[in-house]
Amino acid sequence: MKCEEIGELLPDYLQGSLKAEQDDLVEQHIAECADCREEVAIWKKLSLLPVEQPSAGSRERFEAMLRAYQTGRNDKASAGFERPKRAAVWNWLRSPAGAVAWSAALLVIGIFAGNYFGNRTATHSNTSQDEIAAMHTELANMKQMVVLSMLQQQSASERLQGVSFSRREDQLDPQVMSALVHTLRYDGSVDVRLAALDALSRHGAQPQVHKGVVDALQEQQSPLVQVALIDLMVEWRDPDAAQRLRNFVQTPNLNPTVKQRADWALSKLN
Amino acid sequence: MLEVRNGAGETLGVLFDRYHAPLYNFYSKLTGDRTLSEDLVQEVFLRILKYRQSYQPGTPFRAWIYQIARNARVDHYRKTPRHITFEPEMVAPVMPKDSAQQTEETELLHRALMQMPDEKREILILSRFQELKYDEIARLLGCELGTVKTRIHRAIQELRQNFKQIERGLAPREAGPAVVKQIPPRRFGNEV
Repeated sequence: MKCEEIGELLPDYLQGSLKAEQDDLVEQHIAECADCREEVAIWKKLSLLPVEQPSAGSRERFEAMLRAYQTGRNDKASAGFERPKRAAVWNWLRSPAGAVAWSAALLVIGIFAGNYFGNRTATHSNTSQDEIAAMHTELANMKQMVVLSMLQQQSASERLQGVSFSRREDQLDPQVMSALVHTLRYDGSVDVRLAALDALSRHGAQPQVHKGVVDALQEQQSPLVQVALIDLMVEWRDPDAAQRLRNFVQTPNLNPTVKQRADWALSKLN
Repeated sequence: MLEVRNGAGETLGVLFDRYHAPLYNFYSKLTGDRTLSEDLVQEVFLRILKYRQSYQPGTPFRAWIYQIARNARVDHYRKTPRHITFEPEMVAPVMPKDSAQQTEETELLHRALMQMPDEKREILILSRFQELKYDEIARLLGCELGTVKTRIHRAIQELRQNFKQIERGLAPREAGPAVVKQIPPRRFGNEV
């Protein structure tokens, strides 16, 4: 039999799925033909390559991702998920972040009640619109507080929750913004830093956000975050970006992938 | 798997236990980059969560999960173009820590594998290490069973050629016409 014909049978031979007679044919051929024998040999030799073990942290990362995902889903859950949602809210109220939010809510109610009853007699003409506007402001303040407190949590998944909470508001409060920038720079978890960057990326029009993001590049150690930052700088067409990147590529011991990305970004920006 | 599809996220943990090491090996052998492989494995499980509704009950789950894995890798390289040339330092982390104990042959083999074009390396890894059946690979790559076998055979031929050349201390680009004959200049994408 010719090598070509054997070649057609070879993959099945290697998986042991040939019929006995075809199997014999292949065996006979490889006993005589050195080329085909070597092909079989190299296939078998592949077993020398070691089976790799993922690092111990990968399970932990997976669990954190799962928790963050489930939290997000519970928040979005509609009427069908009323019970688990209520449980989640209850758990959250009992957590330190919840406690802060809860006390803030009571404070807001107190202020309003005080204002309302205090002003009642004095200014009858107080329009309800003003009150609603004020209430909105207070509510927004409360949300900021929640975000700010959650960004301080010990656990990475709670900080992640805080970042995603911050995304609910279209307007970015300056305090929340600076907290997010701080998170982007100094948070211990890469996932949280990436999430913060993602949240900030929606507010590129604000000069301070812009500056915070661009400034963060030089201090980053994680290649993942570095690449995400570089991408964002290209997307924003930041005027300072080119100069920053030129400095950045000079950094000693820069990850080769990151360096390549930075070079690519520079070619884009020029 | 049906449980995952129905929203029981906890069961994802079971899938994780079962698939994260094979997926990690798939990526690390394919890319030679340990950190990237870990990131991609996480991405696969996130996608399983997000897109679990897209799994068709009754179809092989393995093919589905590897489909997600392949897409995740393609998307990654779309976002982050890779090095065009093969970087030896990217491979180093994949080798066992105690490389002194490794036979020279294993290193040669590893280099030979990394010198192959992506498509060929991938099909070899899928069939040899991930232990996918040929019909599963055919479904995964969207081609005929016969095509899969032809491709595997060609990949083996190329691996053997690379291996021999490295063994002789030659770079594959300097190879003579014998190699050209062994590796037809056809692209996989053009085949039916």
